[in-house]
Amino acid sequence: MLERILYNIIQVLTVMIFAPLIKGILNKLKENVQSKTGQSILQPYRDIWKLFHKDEVISENSSWIFRVTPYIVFITPIFVTLLIPVLTTYPLFFAFMGDMVGGGFILSLGGFFAALASVDTANPYGAMGASRTRMVGFLVEPVFMIVFFTVSFVAGSTIPYIVQMHWVTPVSNFFDPSHILLMIAFFMIILAEAGRIPVDNPSGHFELAMIDESKNLEYSGPSAALIKWGGAMKFFVLLCIFLNVITMPWGLAQTQSLLAVLFAIPLVLTKIFVFILVLVIVESSLAKLRLFRITEFLSAAFIISIIAMITVFFK
Amino acid sequence: MIDHTTTFSIFTELAELSAALFLLTSFGIIAMRQVQASLIMFILQSLLLAMSAIILGYQYTINHLFVVAGVTIVIKCMLLPWLLRYTIRKEVYARREILQVLNIPTSLLIAVAITIFAYFITSPLLKLSNDVAIQFNLPIGLAVLLLGAYTIMVRTEAVPQVIGILSMENGAFFAGISIASNLPLIAELAAAFDVLIIALVMGILISKIHEHTGDTSIKKMTILKEG
Amino acid sequence: MELIFLLFIPAIASILSLVPVKNRDYPALVTVIGSLLDVVITLHLALIAYYRGGGEIVAINHLISTDAFGIIIVVLTAFVGFTASIFSWGYMKKVTEADNYSKVRRYYARYNLFMLSMFAVPIFSQIAVMWIAVELTTILSVFLVSFRNTKEALEAAWKYAILTSMGAAFALFGILILYWSMKLAGGDYFTWNGLKQISTSIPSYAAMTSFVFILIGFGAKAGLVPLHVWLPDAHSQAPSPVSALLSPLKCSTVIIYVLLRFLPIFSGDSSLYAGNWYEVIGLLSMGVSAFLILQVKDYKRLFAFSTIEQMGIILTAAGLLANGAHYGALYQMFSQAVTKSFCFFAAGTVLTITQTQQIESIKGLVRISPIAGIALIISGFAIAGAPPFAVFLGEITILKSGVAAGQYLVTGLMAFFIIISFIGIMYNINRMAFGKPSERYTSTKQLPVSYSMALGIAVIPVILFGLYVPVPISEFINLAVSSWWR
Repeated sequence: MLERILYNIIQVLTVMIFAPLIKGILNKLKENVQSKTGQSILQPYRDIWKLFHKDEVISENSSWIFRVTPYIVFITPIFVTLLIPVLTTYPLFFAFMGDMVGGGFILSLGGFFAALASVDTANPYGAMGASRTRMVGFLVEPVFMIVFFTVSFVAGSTIPYIVQMHWVTPVSNFFDPSHILLMIAFFMIILAEAGRIPVDNPSGHFELAMIDESKNLEYSGPSAALIKWGGAMKFFVLLCIFLNVITMPWGLAQTQSLLAVLFAIPLVLTKIFVFILVLVIVESSLAKLRLFRITEFLSAAFIISIIAMITVFFK
Repeated sequence: MIDHTTTFSIFTELAELSAALFLLTSFGIIAMRQVQASLIMFILQSLLLAMSAIILGYQYTINHLFVVAGVTIVIKCMLLPWLLRYTIRKEVYARREILQVLNIPTSLLIAVAITIFAYFITSPLLKLSNDVAIQFNLPIGLAVLLLGAYTIMVRTEAVPQVIGILSMENGAFFAGISIASNLPLIAELAAAFDVLIIALVMGILISKIHEHTGDTSIKKMTILKEG
Repeated sequence: MELIFLLFIPAIASILSLVPVKNRDYPALVTVIGSLLDVVITLHLALIAYYRGGGEIVAINHLISTDAFGIIIVVLTAFVGFTASIFSWGYMKKVTEADNYSKVRRYYARYNLFMLSMFAVPIFSQIAVMWIAVELTTILSVFLVSFRNTKEALEAAWKYAILTSMGAAFALFGILILYWSMKLAGGDYFTWNGLKQISTSIPSYAAMTSFVFILIGFGAKAGLVPLHVWLPDAHSQAPSPVSALLSPLKCSTVIIYVLLRFLPIFSGDSSLYAGNWYEVIGLLSMGVSAFLILQVKDYKRLFAFSTIEQMGIILTAAGLLANGAHYGALYQMFSQAVTKSFCFFAAGTVLTITQTQQIESIKGLVRISPIAGIALIISGFAIAGAPPFAVFLGEITILKSGVAAGQYLVTGLMAFFIIISFIGIMYNINRMAFGKPSERYTSTKQLPVSYSMALGIAVIPVILFGLYVPVPISEFINLAVSSWWR
């Protein structure tokens, strides 16, 4: 029992420590693909360190929501980390605290507060960005739900650990059409939720076109650091759900030994690295969609998830 | 056909996968704005039809399904697109169809409803046979047939309408390779060539329309009316 | 063996008409001779079938074979093809420029290919191959419909191509389900006879599904309501001899033949109510076309709607499931084929003289050109169902047997719709034929001799079989009915 609590803590620490690294690798690869040298992969760590040592300026017209949000955005991914398989295939101590639907709700809690906080400061760009974020979020919700329900229906449970075991055991289950289609739909959701091209340009500074970056506009100092870190952790958590539960549920620690768990860390990082390669290729070959075309993109994701559900239900 | 209800082998999964992707491509034909993109979706669709035929032929050792697959690839994936491009000039393909009858998300939702309707119609039929391949080939074949008819109704450009008709035939064939795989080879071959002639005729007709009216939008064709 | 000759002759005629000879008469002559040979062969086949007592004539077992019912279709096709080829001779010379030889050659090449496909449908008894032949009849006639190359003609050809191909795909699905259910019921050969043998053991739901898809598919190809929107456009924009082939032959004869042939197969299962479905679709077609005839403005569209009505009559008669009604249905098929082709020849004559298709702009046709006027009047009376023409006999037979079978509602509706279309046709034809001619047309143009020849040959059966049905013919029709329902 004690070991399982320990492994849970190791899991959380992994997410906290390596999330900015993933962000850094992603940025550097994108720059490399565009034939630029790019920043060093440790740059996000330096950014967060620098921000923690700066003073903070808060608008007088903002309320408690503005002050509380950075903490919420930081903590919600950590809560979700406790629920999903990051390093191990067997459930850990807090695994049965909530299932995938609960995890999804916790993640969107963070997004909800971030949107409220952007409106809170009466910055017009913040409000614009917040409304766009909500639009994307509201279109993404049904797809999330259907993906989760289908996956749970197939696996017979909503706990991520049990779902993941269903895909691992017979290898032919990987080629199940609902599985492939759910992968495609979930990939499109990640593009939307994490604010990547074709939904949003993450490296743009043009406030009129910002969707996801708008939550960072008004923050400074330690709050900005928390928001940045929390955003990176949310991305990491989404990747873990995608890779460990749905796509490539291999390479996780099978036995209950500390060595196996520690050995799983580089394996997980390798998987994420492969995914980032794919992501970079996708991002570099598409153009950002106009705002009204995002609905078409997300309704395509919705349709794909519904087809996955149909092929499962009518077996 | 041999009863394979208990073996969920990898071939069954692959056949199911090609069926699901087949359905996805017909959604793509409805949703893609660019005329060129719908043609590419059609090529993918024919390729998936051939793959399904190959997998079923291998699984049930029906040799002439391989011939069907080969003919499909040659005719539908290679000859037919070449033919359509040869008879219709390039500028028709560069078009983006701005105005469809319904906007795309609504179209896609109706398409999902049509798919569920197709499953609903075929569910009593599926009980008639124990064959695993029929369970997904038949409803998806019917769904693609109905979706092709739906494509013809919502698209306002000429080339996507032709692709809609061709995808209807693809859907009927997809159902056919599972339920009528013993159909004499001559019938299947002749049907495949028939598709080629359809494409040729339609292509020439579209180029004539383009010549005479400078535009291949079907919405402008409303001269002949009742009365 | 003659069955295969029947297919070869139009193919050879088609190839021969493509020979680049700088003469507009040459391909016409080839076609006329070819179709005359076809007539001879089909009559020979009819004699064989008659002396065999309506039995099967087989060329290739389970692939190419036909019986008395199919022979009737083939004879009709050959006859109308022959008269239409004579009419085309003069028509082509009038419509194309004097030196446009290639256009004339292409017309005849396509004409022959179209004839080939129409012969193929009753001859191939394997159902999947028959489907291909039906599909070919559409595809090979698309360019004949768009022959004039005007905007309207191209639009009509486009609608025609799309809607009928849609129907073909639906019909293909229905046929595949039928094949599957035949295999489940233990049948062996996918031919008309093979299916009839197992018609009672087809699983019920599968039969219903395939019936619905086949009805939708072939109904769209024939132009039955509610999938009829392409028919008036296509048949009015096509050149008149082509309309004479499309309307009475392809739609009403060949495709209705296919639908009628499916009926005994699906009537084996009484829970399907196949006959009732045919009655409903038939009555719907009759009703819609009757009311549309009342407001038509173009006389070729008038004849096209009348085709829909005739198809409705035949289907309703078939659905009545009474022996006398079936005799009436086949007789009606026969009479409307010869009559409707005559109507379109008359329409072509009128078009050549007046150069317009609008009813309102034509008055006093009888004074302008006696031939055109009289032809139009005869065709109007004939197709509307007035005595002493063939269509009248057919309709009376059907109505009588409907009353005798106790189906008062259906028969009453049929009579009602026939009367409405009678009024519509008569009103419009009389407006055109009588009255004071408008000044534009006081100079009569010279009509080609071939027009008169075609009209003359085509009118003979129209009048003859309205006055009196020779005993061999009625016996033959009875043979056809029994081989249909055996």
